[in-house]
Amino acid sequence: MPATPVYIICSPRPQVGKTLIARLLTEFLLLKNGKVVAFDVNLREPSLLDYLPNVTETAEIDNTFGKMQLMDRIIVDDDVAKVIDLGFQSFDEFFKMSDEIGFMKEAARRRVAPIILFAADTGRVSAREHQTLQLQIPRSRLIVVDNEHVVRGELPEAFATGRVLRVSALPAFLKTYIDRLTFSFTDYLRNEKDSSTELHQWIRRNYFSLRELELSLMLQRS
Amino acid sequence: MAKPAVIVVGADKGGVGKTTVSRTVLDYFSANNVQTRAFDTESPRGTLKRFHPDITEIVDMTSTADQMKIFDTLNAVSPSVTVIDVRAGLLSPALASLRDIGFLDAARAGQITFAVFHILGPSIASLDEIAETANFMSGAKYFLVKNFINNTSFFEWDQSTYNSYFHRIKDATELTIPKLNEMAFEQVEVASVPFLKFVANKGIRDEAANYSFVLRGYVRHWLANVWSEFDRIKLTDIVGSGKVGARGGEK
Repeated sequence: MPATPVYIICSPRPQVGKTLIARLLTEFLLLKNGKVVAFDVNLREPSLLDYLPNVTETAEIDNTFGKMQLMDRIIVDDDVAKVIDLGFQSFDEFFKMSDEIGFMKEAARRRVAPIILFAADTGRVSAREHQTLQLQIPRSRLIVVDNEHVVRGELPEAFATGRVLRVSALPAFLKTYIDRLTFSFTDYLRNEKDSSTELHQWIRRNYFSLRELELSLMLQRS
Repeated sequence: MAKPAVIVVGADKGGVGKTTVSRTVLDYFSANNVQTRAFDTESPRGTLKRFHPDITEIVDMTSTADQMKIFDTLNAVSPSVTVIDVRAGLLSPALASLRDIGFLDAARAGQITFAVFHILGPSIASLDEIAETANFMSGAKYFLVKNFINNTSFFEWDQSTYNSYFHRIKDATELTIPKLNEMAFEQVEVASVPFLKFVANKGIRDEAANYSFVLRGYVRHWLANVWSEFDRIKLTDIVGSGKVGARGGEK
């Protein structure tokens, strides 16, 4: 049986599309497995909780009790995939704490597989923090998200190493459409009869990429 | 057979973390396979005994019978290392007793290894303690321990004043015990187990426990830092147990 995945979507910068990735991933896992638990550590930005309230819990890591509430849940091998939408304010504290408490090692011991999805942008802060994370996270577990809405061109050289998850840009009107709180990617796939629409294909492409990512991680572990 | 070693942990002030430091010392020896026994002078109810019941005995340092129990058995018992957690206010009288029974002379003559962990408090009174304690320290390894475990802004007094006291004692070594997350510290208190067992998620009888992974992580990280201080002063060498090898409990 594969290890329980814990996806951590993060960036030290705001407005780089973390919640969009978290939404896509959560809906994909829900569609595929029928079950997922998402954590929103993102309370000051547009938040995952607003989009997927039925599967999302809020979490905070600015105090020890909050850290216990979150980390003691995600370190359990219960075959339910977890998604963490980690707000930029919590980035430093989360990885500092993870390093201090030996999260990666304990996860390996307990058959839990943390996967870090780092939402890239063109700023120096992100490049530096990504470099720092490389010292803490095994290369196969640190995935760069190349979101065309954010990067708008070539991915900076600092992110060139390791696996990349590409998310193509949508036209502005469709971007506005999917940003509505009531919008669901899976519901759209189910309800839209015309599978040739741009949005239909965009969602399918992203779901396919996520499935590829999941498969490759499973193969690495086996 | 190794020379007997006695480590006294004390301070003249209460609440500065003597027992916490004693516990880290016992865990350190346990992880390094150094057989140790401990005496807790908080008679009649000892805190150290609560955490390390199998190796700790409660004694009254001021009674001759208990002094005999500790010092007359130094060569006779198999654990060659004895840790004594001295109750608040008793450090200077305890050292005076040791001088009176000839123990300090034996240490000076090299028959016994004697080390003192003097835990410093935040006030200027701690500096006077250093001066007082220093009179007994010839022949002993003297460690001044700045214990930050339960207070981040610990030392209120001037560093140059501290240095002037510190340098009065020849060969004194300074040790720093870093701060431990309050909630993690509290949970270990509630669990009443050695830090090592808390990290290993075990109860006092080695049964499986269910401590928070986060708190265990904080304790493991902190304990590794404390032990690196003990490694720095070569504590196992001091007690004659050779080099530090691979050990459990660290990251």
